Amino acid sequence: MNPRALESLVQLLVPAGLVVAVGLAASFASRSNEIHFLNAIVAVAVVVAIYVFVGNSGVLSFGQISFVAVGAFAAGVLTVPTALKSSVLPNLFPVLRDHTIGNVASLLLAAAVGGLLALLVGLPLMRLSGLAAGIATFAVLEITHNLLREWTRIGPGATTLSLVPETTEPLQATVGTLVVLVVAFAYGRSRLGRMLRATREDPAAAQAAGIDVHRQRLWAFTLSGALAGFSGGLLVHMLGSITTEQVYLELTFVTLAMLVVGGLTSLWGAVVGALAVSAVDSFLGEAEQGVDVGFTLDVPTGTRLVVVAGLMALVLILRPSGLTGGREVRLPRRREAAA
Amino acid sequence: MSLLAVVDAQTLVDAVGLGAVYALMAVGIGLVFGVLRLVNFAYGQLVMAGAYTLAFTSSWPLGARLLACFVVVLALTRALEWAVFRPLRTASPAVMLVTTFAVAFLLQSIARILDVRDGTIGEAAASIGGLRQVVSVGGVDVRRVTLVAIAVAAVALGLLALLLARTTLGLHMRAAAADFQTARLLGVRANVVITFAVFLSGVLAAIVAIILTIQAPLVTPGFALQETIVVLVGVVVGGIDRLWTATLGGFSIGFATGVINGALPTEHTVFLPSAVFALVVLVLILRPAGLFARPRAAVVERV
Amino acid sequence: MSAPALLELDGVDVRYGRVAAVRRLTLSVSEGELVGLIGPNGAGKSTTLHAIVGLLPTSAGEIRLRGESLRGRSPESVARAGVALVPEGRRIFGGFSVEENLRLGLAAARRNGAATRLGEVYELFPTLAEFRARQAGALSGGQQQQLAIGRALMADPALLLLDEPSLGLAPALVDVVFETLAAIRERGVTVLLVEQRAQRTVSFADRTYVLANGELRLTLTQADAADTDTMISAYLA
Repeated sequence: MNPRALESLVQLLVPAGLVVAVGLAASFASRSNEIHFLNAIVAVAVVVAIYVFVGNSGVLSFGQISFVAVGAFAAGVLTVPTALKSSVLPNLFPVLRDHTIGNVASLLLAAAVGGLLALLVGLPLMRLSGLAAGIATFAVLEITHNLLREWTRIGPGATTLSLVPETTEPLQATVGTLVVLVVAFAYGRSRLGRMLRATREDPAAAQAAGIDVHRQRLWAFTLSGALAGFSGGLLVHMLGSITTEQVYLELTFVTLAMLVVGGLTSLWGAVVGALAVSAVDSFLGEAEQGVDVGFTLDVPTGTRLVVVAGLMALVLILRPSGLTGGREVRLPRRREAAA
Repeated sequence: MSLLAVVDAQTLVDAVGLGAVYALMAVGIGLVFGVLRLVNFAYGQLVMAGAYTLAFTSSWPLGARLLACFVVVLALTRALEWAVFRPLRTASPAVMLVTTFAVAFLLQSIARILDVRDGTIGEAAASIGGLRQVVSVGGVDVRRVTLVAIAVAAVALGLLALLLARTTLGLHMRAAAADFQTARLLGVRANVVITFAVFLSGVLAAIVAIILTIQAPLVTPGFALQETIVVLVGVVVGGIDRLWTATLGGFSIGFATGVINGALPTEHTVFLPSAVFALVVLVLILRPAGLFARPRAAVVERV
Repeated sequence: MSAPALLELDGVDVRYGRVAAVRRLTLSVSEGELVGLIGPNGAGKSTTLHAIVGLLPTSAGEIRLRGESLRGRSPESVARAGVALVPEGRRIFGGFSVEENLRLGLAAARRNGAATRLGEVYELFPTLAEFRARQAGALSGGQQQQLAIGRALMADPALLLLDEPSLGLAPALVDVVFETLAAIRERGVTVLLVEQRAQRTVSFADRTYVLANGELRLTLTQADAADTDTMISAYLA
């Protein structure tokens, strides 16, 4: 196998292997610890979905969590058993209230809904860059949040959507996230992905070379939306419930910071960032309840977020290119290999 | 067709009041952006800190409370300047945005820990004088504090405009905002200009904290967060690269929010955020450099 | 050289990453001199000026103003020490008035006297006096060049650095620039002039350094202006 192909394979296999390892840990973990591993895996899915757009295009979007939200609610609402739906969610549109779909179907639907919304939103917005793009995508997040929270005909509104089947066991989480990884990797290696990255480095030059910046961004944005929606499906089936606040500002901050801490411009960065921050976050979550590390570590509630936010700020100030330096996994170079 | 046909005078006054407060915050954000090219997501946390100080000192005499508020806010502002703003000066815009975002969450989380020590979230801030009372002005019922807010905003903005236009320091600040490198070549002291701009933004944050705690006495870790988000959006929509367009943007979004709120039928007011943000998206698509920016103006963004 | 050295560069290296833009540069400018710095594009002329004023770090060597080291100082600190740079492309503040632009030049002044300085600059550039309230962005290229030079003079600098002041100007305006420089020289200001117009600079300046590929090639005097061979070999060596 030629070195280039081997390198590509490694760039996919190492992150994938890491996800599988965490998945295995999840399946052997105790019931109470399992949730931490599952959280980490689903976090990888969400952050990779965000990376597909933000990392490849260099355009900062605060709106990707909207697609996670619609995916989660779509998958959730349509998998609550029909018998229970009319009593818990009386105001739903009949088409939503009278039908229930299966597990895999709900995940595919979540992806479809996320992708479709991203396409609609992206059509006008992808012409924007920089601060304007950031604010516009943030506005999308706000609108999505507001509609999901207040419009009781499409969902539970301000109340918790519960009774969702908890089908995201370690296997589903791992397989689902691997799917997201493979798709993201394939896109990144494809001509479309390379063209988009060219616009990231030098938009003017890329345009001069004939690349349609708007279209490439739209492709990535739509794909990112679909993958984000899919992750939302994984999320809702992991928690068995969902509220609008769980897919709003805090998740936006945490996932974006995971990406930047890991390294904004690489898939490896997305995976590393998600896993590293999840690990710290979970550990501190336990520490808030009192955890045994040789001695008992008990910290006040709220420390978790303080430390996570503080660590992120520190990494960003001291090593802005992130833990991975924004690069993919590299094979150690042999001395005699030619350049 | 006059605006009064759609909304009543009451709504208009409240909308101007809201716009006034947002304008003050917009200036605070715009000043720091001008000299540092940095969007301070943590601005709301400065207001929050001032509000908590007012809440925790509720039993003190008024003068002491106000002084404490300014001291705490300005100290925090200085700390932010040294720990976050200066190190970030050479960072990429994406990193700057996310870092100040992180700092905002950091401060909010610290506040939560401090607040919860008495077992409950939220502290009440005592009012000032009779400012919460409603008075009737020309047939319109308006709270005193709204009138004070409008007056304070007018005075503050007027003073700031004078400072920028007529003093040497103001000239240096404007030059730094337009072309920092050339300004330094001419001898403008970067440190002085930055510190002063940041100081001014802190002063404004303290003023906003005072006004907001009168209007909404319950202080929580999320205090002023929603307002900051809306103001940030307004500033970018108005045009962040010039101070007056940023301020106008902040005022406009506050005013628009107030008017839309009054115009929406009661059962639909829950959808106010969607309406406002949809408007924001529309404006940004049509005028990405900002609503009030010159159409052909080169945006001095590094983003 | 009987006059004391005002500016000394001693073995200066300036790097962009791993590439050395300027290597082992040693030159000096004495009080009252007008010294030229010429060379082909990319020779490192602008880089040298930027290093002197502190916009670029020097990785080796020393830069001294009247014996005092300028190395590692911030641009505003160098300006306050008495060095004024008229940057390439002028970089005036288009949104400000002409007078505001000039007042900005006072930022580096070591003593007060805004009114006096303004008067002196307006005397040197009557056009600026006429347009003092006009927006600087509305001025023509030649007028903006006058503004940039006037602004640099406001702080009464000991050393005036100019980065290609004739760039983009019509021949008649180039004459005006050089006339202005002559008038400035007459007032005793020390000048280091970076220019693309080799012949004109060599015949005008007291001495001219030739820079190529980041290194000092040779020093020319006014007598060499007519000697085409020397000029060409200096550039192409």
